[in-house]
Amino acid sequence: MTVAVVQFPGTNCDRDVFQAIEMAGGRPVFWWHKDKPAAEKVSAIVIPGGFSYGDYLRCGALAAKSPVMSEVLDRQKKGVPVLGICNGFQILCEAGLLPGVLLKNRHRRFVDGWTSLKRVASDSVWTKTVPETLSLPVAHGEGCFYVDDETSKKLFEQGQVAFTYQSDVNGSVASIAGILSIDKKTLGLMPHPERAVTSWMGSETGKHFFEWLS
Amino acid sequence: MNLEEQLKKFRLSKSEYELITDLLGRGPDGLEWAVFSALWSEHCSYKSSKIHLKKLYNKSRHVLQSMGENAGVVDLGEGEKVAFKMESHNHPSFIEPFQGAATGVGGILRDIFTMGARPVALANYLAFGDPSSAFMKRLLDGVVGGISGYGNCVGVPMLTGQTLFDTGYDENILVNALAVGLFCADDPIMSARGAKPGCVIVYLGARTGRDGIHGASMASESFEGSSQKKLPTIQIGDPFFEKLLIEATLEMIREGIVVSMQDMGAAGLTSSTFEMASSSGFGFEMDLGLVPLRDSSMTPEEILLSESQERMLLVCEPENTLRIQEIAKKWDLEASEIGKVVTGTKLLLKWHGEAVLEIDPHIVVERAPMYERPFVSEIPKILAKKFEWNAAEIEQVSPSVRAARESDKSWIYRQYDQRVGGSTEQDCSSTVGVLKLPSKRSLAVSLGGRPNWVLAHAFTGGMDAVLEPTLKMSLQGFEVVGLTDCLNFGNPERETVMTQFVHSLDGMNEVCRSLDIPIISGNVSFYNETKLKSIPPTPATGLVGVRRIVDASNIPSDRFVHPQKEAWLLTLPFRELFGQEVFDLGMSLSQLGEAINLLRDMSLGGEFETARVVGSSGLETTLESMIGSEVGFEWTSETELTRKYVAYQIVFTFKGEADIFSKAIKPFGVQIDKIGRTTRGIYKVRGQYLNCRQVLEVRSRKFPLFSEEYDLGAAVFGGSEKAIGNQNV
Repeated sequence: MTVAVVQFPGTNCDRDVFQAIEMAGGRPVFWWHKDKPAAEKVSAIVIPGGFSYGDYLRCGALAAKSPVMSEVLDRQKKGVPVLGICNGFQILCEAGLLPGVLLKNRHRRFVDGWTSLKRVASDSVWTKTVPETLSLPVAHGEGCFYVDDETSKKLFEQGQVAFTYQSDVNGSVASIAGILSIDKKTLGLMPHPERAVTSWMGSETGKHFFEWLS
Repeated sequence: MNLEEQLKKFRLSKSEYELITDLLGRGPDGLEWAVFSALWSEHCSYKSSKIHLKKLYNKSRHVLQSMGENAGVVDLGEGEKVAFKMESHNHPSFIEPFQGAATGVGGILRDIFTMGARPVALANYLAFGDPSSAFMKRLLDGVVGGISGYGNCVGVPMLTGQTLFDTGYDENILVNALAVGLFCADDPIMSARGAKPGCVIVYLGARTGRDGIHGASMASESFEGSSQKKLPTIQIGDPFFEKLLIEATLEMIREGIVVSMQDMGAAGLTSSTFEMASSSGFGFEMDLGLVPLRDSSMTPEEILLSESQERMLLVCEPENTLRIQEIAKKWDLEASEIGKVVTGTKLLLKWHGEAVLEIDPHIVVERAPMYERPFVSEIPKILAKKFEWNAAEIEQVSPSVRAARESDKSWIYRQYDQRVGGSTEQDCSSTVGVLKLPSKRSLAVSLGGRPNWVLAHAFTGGMDAVLEPTLKMSLQGFEVVGLTDCLNFGNPERETVMTQFVHSLDGMNEVCRSLDIPIISGNVSFYNETKLKSIPPTPATGLVGVRRIVDASNIPSDRFVHPQKEAWLLTLPFRELFGQEVFDLGMSLSQLGEAINLLRDMSLGGEFETARVVGSSGLETTLESMIGSEVGFEWTSETELTRKYVAYQIVFTFKGEADIFSKAIKPFGVQIDKIGRTTRGIYKVRGQYLNCRQVLEVRSRKFPLFSEEYDLGAAVFGGSEKAIGNQNV
């Protein structure tokens, strides 16, 4: 499958995601932020992590308004699955494709390390082969997922909560680590599956996010 | 202004003034003052150290580039090459810790990608004073925040680090950053040399502002106690801009449209222009009026001396300027033609068309004074005893310093992105940072340099700065391919400081020569002194090694892995190696080289399950750092576990029988002793049973800035998935 990997100025996990898709047998292609690649047929879109536009204004806020994002929005409406990792998650929230916002970590510091996760929703293309418990690395300064209590309850009820942390990593509401769109085709994920796709990286569980792209 | 005031303003000595007068045939004038002030500063000219640096061992068959360029380059074979360098940002970080440390990272990265290598790893060597004061806590917090803020954003993983605590750094902290860059297959190695007449000079990157003016000469002076006054000499970094610059620069270099390139680091536009012009052997003509400015009221002198960050100077053929502009535009960067390379050897600077300076750049760059500062040449005889620190000595420091030394440093490294790039194999929680190369071989980075050793005996301390990290690497199967250093010392005009500098450098060099470890790049930081008090002598080293086999599964751990395994302690014959026979180096050192090779081979052969060099805080602290929540340790030896630190000890557990190793190491006159066994979750020493979780918790809570409010350590852990079951809390 051909998979678009979106590149903004300041994106820094683009090559890692590219590598993970290739290792899974997919065919990644880069989409540049200034372009609107309307003609290119892709089966999925991944927005990698990093510091798009230097996190100026607000994480993901500028990227959400870029030309390439209008293309991502069009595709998403047509049912193309979209995955946003870390800064990509922030961009999807800013673009209104996912509910909620990502705030500065409750402890005010950037946090890097391995986390244990629980898969809550299994009925998305992105999560269906992911094991029930898994470990993935995190690396973020603004990963505290926030919605009000009512919305949080609704997200659980509608099966939109994809993953939760097994411990309090950043102060997220209900320890939410990943959120799905209402149609379950768009996933925003704070941890980095592309950093856990072979044993020498420390874990292989991240490859399940990409294997359906082969 | 009379001459004396003028000299003081530009931080030049009377004799340097006389030398300039000799070289020019007259006294300096106008902008010449600023140029000489910057380029003849200690920071830029290495005037106190050059004479000693010349003797360093820097050639081996794998070295493609050593001193003289922005960074050294080593060939790893299989089409892979690495560039690496270490640099200090001590003075600025003391004045403004966040920006000082951040721009230190930015500067060292630029040295790497200016060479054409993609930065793939960072490491840092830090030294702080007593962390009990609010002032020192602020510095610690600021430095870590600055490194984190910059490195995470540019997307280069932090692989390893070292942090010292000692009251000797109360008034001068150390911030040394190391960066490694990778060249694959056909990636060209760039150079600052090679400009020829007809070429165009292009300014690429951020606009020039008023920050960091006189930064180089500031870093070449001792503090007198009012460092806050020096705030305007601090540079401000923007990692987002740096990230764009990395991508744009590499794209230009890899398209083959750049003739030569230099970043604007210390002394900004002055040093890059003068160095490029001098090494090319041709004339440069530039108009400072064409330099993009943040503030249009800046004067030519300010433009020349500004140390604004994220700027590059490049030289290209005129037909390629269009393509340069296109690439710059793609990355939303500004590229401005500011001059050209001409015949002749003069550097001509203009200000809106009018000549303001014409000078032979060679005079400024190559004819800087070289000082042979007085030092005591005789190396004192020593007793090995000096290198055994007993309990009283370890404990004589203040409780806060000791706690900081013995604590787990995860509070620091969990703020660094250690895995961006998708190549990290071992993160900062290991004693050696490891990266996977495209060829699937592994690359390691390890840091060395212990000031208490250098204080005890500078020559031996220099040797140790190479040997200890080499030993760590060989235990994990790595062969050292090169070394970079950052030599942090006090005032070189003092005989004791200069003696420590020369002796430790000689010690390092001796080991490097003997073990064939080329010293390919480095940096000297003098004048780490405040109110006449110098820092402890601190030669920091960064070693890069390669593990030549592809199978990663048998890199031994530096933690205990399974319960119910025998633990052994090896003590290298340190007394013989460094003791009375300190002058009989040939024999002892080559023997040690063989022992290191044996350790590496046995590691590659999969003999070791766990192998870890005992750290300076002693065996007990090392054992505490080897346990996890699931696998503990019990001391079973008849001899009592003391707090004494014995140098060059290694803790092992073996995959097979200890006998195999014991027999192999015997010819070296070394023996290993069984000291205990690993357990299930229990830590037992001195007859006391403790739960491992408790021990780990206490260790992490010793950190000076540990926050009760939020325990970073409880949520995430270092290492890998394997570590989850056995986490280092």
